[in-house]
Amino acid sequence: MSHLALVLAANPLTPLEHLARHVLNWLHFSVGLPWAWSIVALTVIVRVLLVPLTVRQIHSMQNLQRFAPQMKEIQKKYKADKQKQNEELMKFYRENNINPAASCLPMLAQLPVFLGLYYSLRHFSRESPKLHPGSLSFLHFIPSIAAHTTTHWGGYVLLVVYCASQLASSFYMSASVDKTQRTLLMVMPLVFVFFIARFPAGLVLYWVTTNLWTVGQGLITRRLIPKPPAPEKRTSRTPPRDEGDGGGNGAKPEPSGRPPQPARSNQPPRKVRRKKKAGRR
Amino acid sequence: MTVVRRLPAQLGIGLVWLYRLTFGALFPTTCKYHPSCSEYAVQALRTHGLVRGSALAGWRLLRCNPWSRGGFDPVR
Repeated sequence: MSHLALVLAANPLTPLEHLARHVLNWLHFSVGLPWAWSIVALTVIVRVLLVPLTVRQIHSMQNLQRFAPQMKEIQKKYKADKQKQNEELMKFYRENNINPAASCLPMLAQLPVFLGLYYSLRHFSRESPKLHPGSLSFLHFIPSIAAHTTTHWGGYVLLVVYCASQLASSFYMSASVDKTQRTLLMVMPLVFVFFIARFPAGLVLYWVTTNLWTVGQGLITRRLIPKPPAPEKRTSRTPPRDEGDGGGNGAKPEPSGRPPQPARSNQPPRKVRRKKKAGRR
Repeated sequence: MTVVRRLPAQLGIGLVWLYRLTFGALFPTTCKYHPSCSEYAVQALRTHGLVRGSALAGWRLLRCNPWSRGGFDPVR
């Protein structure tokens, strides 16, 4: 018991490291995956475990899309005061029985995995290779997942892939965030590359995998959720036309009742174009 | 003396800031509560000290899940 207390006092994150190492050992020795692919598999397992949380988030996102125009109005109204904007949004959520899609727990659930992996990879580079038999390389271009990312040219390739995947995942994760915040989030990973370059390559591999998972999830989510800007544009375009027609000519309410007419008026140029194309052919 | 007493809580606040500048900056999730979880943690540590503050912050994080309602939830 005292030994356990000593271990915990030395590093409170040791249990996380042991857990990560146990899972990696199981994937390597029992399942038979190489070490690098064990990291990929570990990441996939974590993300699969988080799927129920994500599904729930998708549902609340779908619900949020209905209220997107009103929420944008609130955001515009209190653009200068972020705190007031947040408070008003929260009020709006309450009043309309909305469950906001974003929450901290699913994201933070990944933090212990990340830290556990970081410490166990650091151990890999320090301990005798006898304790982890087998190659530490990944796809022939990274010689060791336990070494710093920048010790080999392959690491730089991995960093480029990381940047691309991080940008893509930020793009999908920040769909509901306003524009300035979004650009900031897109720039962030580029700044972080300098820190990440000093991490073990295996950790970058974890990050790339989890980002790619996020992107894949984003692609599926996009299909499930109707695009929010489309209906908004339609509503902003149509009212001025109707108003213009109604205000300019008093006798025009009847034509406005026939929607195909303006569509027909647009058709002739298209026909001409088609004829031209046909002529060219 | 008060400085010494506040030291553990300040350490906790430092850790929250470390999180904010590193891991937190990488993930664009906006919290469903107001104040956000990290802001709540800082306030809780400031008013209740390290032990109670951490417990309150931990409980808040558990509440910040996809099934909860969210909303205005200040430190009491």
